[in-house]
Amino acid sequence: MNASESQPDIAITVIGPPRWTPEPDPRVPHGDPATLLTIDADAIVTAFSGKVEYGQGIRNGFAMEIADELDVVVDSIRIVLGDTALVPQDRGTTGSASTRTVGIQLRRAAATARQALVNLAATRLEVDSGALKTEDGRVVSNDGATGVDYADLLSGQSLTLDVPDVVEVKAVKDFRLMGRPARRIDAVSRVTGAAKYVRDVVVPGMLYGKILRPPSYGAKLVQVDTARAKRVDGVISVVQDGDFVGVVAEREDVAEYAVEVIRARWEESRDTASDWNIPALLKERAEVPTALRDEGDLESAFGSANRVFENTYYVPYISNAQMEPSASVARWDDGNLTVWCANRGPFAERDSLAEMFGLPADKVRVIAAEIGGSFGTKTPTVSHEAARLARAIDAPVRVSYDRAEEFAWSTVRPAATFEIKSGVDANGKIVAWDYTAFHAGENAFRGQRGADTMYDVDNVRIAVAASESPLQSGSYRSLGGATNHFAREVHMDEIAVGLGIDPLEFRLNNLSHERLRGTLVAAAEAFGWETRDNSSGKGYGMAIGYDAGSFTAQIAEVTVENQEARVDRVVVGFDCGLVVNPDGARNQIEGSIVMGMGTALWETVEFDGGRVLNAGFARYRVPRIGDAPEIEVVFTGGDDVPSSGAGEPGIVPTAAAIANAVRDATGTAVEQLPIVPNL
Amino acid sequence: MHLKVNDESHEVTVDAERTLLSVLRHELELTGTKYGCGEGNCGACTVLIDGEATRSCITPVTSASGRDIMTIEGLADGDNLHPVQEAFVEHTAFQCAYCTSGFIMSSAALLDRNPAPDDDQIRSALSGHICRCGAYVRILAAVKSAAGEPGSGDGGAG
Repeated sequence: MNASESQPDIAITVIGPPRWTPEPDPRVPHGDPATLLTIDADAIVTAFSGKVEYGQGIRNGFAMEIADELDVVVDSIRIVLGDTALVPQDRGTTGSASTRTVGIQLRRAAATARQALVNLAATRLEVDSGALKTEDGRVVSNDGATGVDYADLLSGQSLTLDVPDVVEVKAVKDFRLMGRPARRIDAVSRVTGAAKYVRDVVVPGMLYGKILRPPSYGAKLVQVDTARAKRVDGVISVVQDGDFVGVVAEREDVAEYAVEVIRARWEESRDTASDWNIPALLKERAEVPTALRDEGDLESAFGSANRVFENTYYVPYISNAQMEPSASVARWDDGNLTVWCANRGPFAERDSLAEMFGLPADKVRVIAAEIGGSFGTKTPTVSHEAARLARAIDAPVRVSYDRAEEFAWSTVRPAATFEIKSGVDANGKIVAWDYTAFHAGENAFRGQRGADTMYDVDNVRIAVAASESPLQSGSYRSLGGATNHFAREVHMDEIAVGLGIDPLEFRLNNLSHERLRGTLVAAAEAFGWETRDNSSGKGYGMAIGYDAGSFTAQIAEVTVENQEARVDRVVVGFDCGLVVNPDGARNQIEGSIVMGMGTALWETVEFDGGRVLNAGFARYRVPRIGDAPEIEVVFTGGDDVPSSGAGEPGIVPTAAAIANAVRDATGTAVEQLPIVPNL
Repeated sequence: MHLKVNDESHEVTVDAERTLLSVLRHELELTGTKYGCGEGNCGACTVLIDGEATRSCITPVTSASGRDIMTIEGLADGDNLHPVQEAFVEHTAFQCAYCTSGFIMSSAALLDRNPAPDDDQIRSALSGHICRCGAYVRILAAVKSAAGEPGSGDGGAG
């Protein structure tokens, strides 16, 4: 795995800066120019990105975009992801931004290379480049009479090209691949067990580490006796550095056993927070809310409103619970650190390792393996642990969390409490909207996503506060977005039910946003909202949402009986502009709904005094195959609208749509999650 | 100890209390079988023992000795994927695919004993598996389509 291996016989190298906007924007600074794409003498195209593959199928999206721009087959494209020694620093894989930022820049790089190939052919064929076009790995004359293979043109070349500021990329009508369903190019490795995740990475001389965990968050190590652990057969070393204690052994199971026989005394924080009292504590322990929007005159609007509604909502901590628990492999060579990780931000991980060990960034190389799910978690912590152990014993070390460690010591989605007060006039128009959210976590920024309302209202205050978190808050699919949407969209039904207005009519009556209206109308039509049948324990609910530049509406059908709720069907309207890979986008939306269903019905991290009490799948209920609803997706975006995110927006309305459907079935409003324990 | 895995015989010297999963992954370097929970609750570690879908993370290696063990690496016939594998590719019945080996092994065992399962039988056979990416709709469709294919009942034969 060294950098030179990927660069034999390179005929064309395209260099350009990573960008964060679909088009070059002088107001937005771009990244450092780096190699985006190469074509070797055999016309094999290699594209480079710091994005990682954690299930979203980004290799496919990139490969299809490049194949279309270059007029080559997908099979001739290699995508190198997430190796900090090889790829541009194009930020982490977050915010459903890969397709709309890196994807477009790769298209521009591919278009630049295509133009160079046309120019080479024009010289070779002694014709004007305007008389030439590309198709199927060849440059051919417009009349098809003559042509030359890319490979022939590339032989002996060594061109370095910069992506110019203005590059003509193909129009939608000329796409052959984009916009059509495609198989995953990495599919076979995933059904044969060949795909390598971090836990599967073995480097020569590698040993296995296990960390001594405190009994609770915030506990301090008072006394420790590692003598028994050191005597365990197969243990190489017990490393201690302050509160950090870890065992290194020849095998993983030996390390696991040895860490169990360490005797330790801890002083626990005895925090009084638990999942019982946290809804109120979030407000009590919050900073002063920051207003994101404060417009009009709320006081007089409430004074003149026909009806006023006021409610408090709550969503609990939940675990990301991705199937692959955190793991990392660390190796030191002459003061250089190489880490194989499952982190979605390899450059951020590199920088955090460099900072931890006081190294310049270029002495740290981070390589993202295949990633067994993330949904926002997988922090650099496990890599810090592996690197500390590896340095202490001067040998490569792999640290792999077990499931209980993952539940207790990985990050969780922050709990949040919401206060909403709304006023409506006699025509069912919202005239006042006062929204305050208290999100657990160290900064309010995390709770801002999705806090604002897209409904029409002139008098509005949107405020968000960060609140002290008794657990380690981290990211999640649409962090903040999914929870803010729950509160807002459940409150919308509170008003609709209170006024006796159909929830679809009430929403449309307060919604001018064309793209959102488009998703809602399409979903209602596909669902058959007007002809729904409320007999036999069925309930129907809807919610709309926006996230990552996209817009969506979902309508859920549920059955509630015997203190259980079952989601039978979800119909989705989804507008993410141009859909690059419809099957990939659909897969993401289906997954978002299943995940959102878990957050709605069952999931909650139980904790008390800094201890996670349900750190296993036996006590943390997640959706299983028998729970999966029928899902129908209607794409409503225009092909001429730039692509926006598809990985996260699908989750934002789900919990509210299900909660509203449960209310429809039972007649009782759902004001906190999860639903089923409270039925 | 004698282990027969994917039709190959292995002599391994291991502690009796080790799990089959640990021995497969570390001693035999068959890393397609995944650790997910270590408690038999998620199905990621599923292998076939004498054709029966078995959670290797809670199976002592001694109890598998002398029996036919099949892992995901042994399911395809050379380059010819097993019909369940083909169907998972065809339906993109995965996202991150960390759980996929387990789902495929249980599905192969199901089709071996019941070549034409209905939806509820498929759901029941796969109820012990977790896919956090939520590809369940596709998994169900993939197993249904594989059920109609010749050779789909070869999974458990070992």
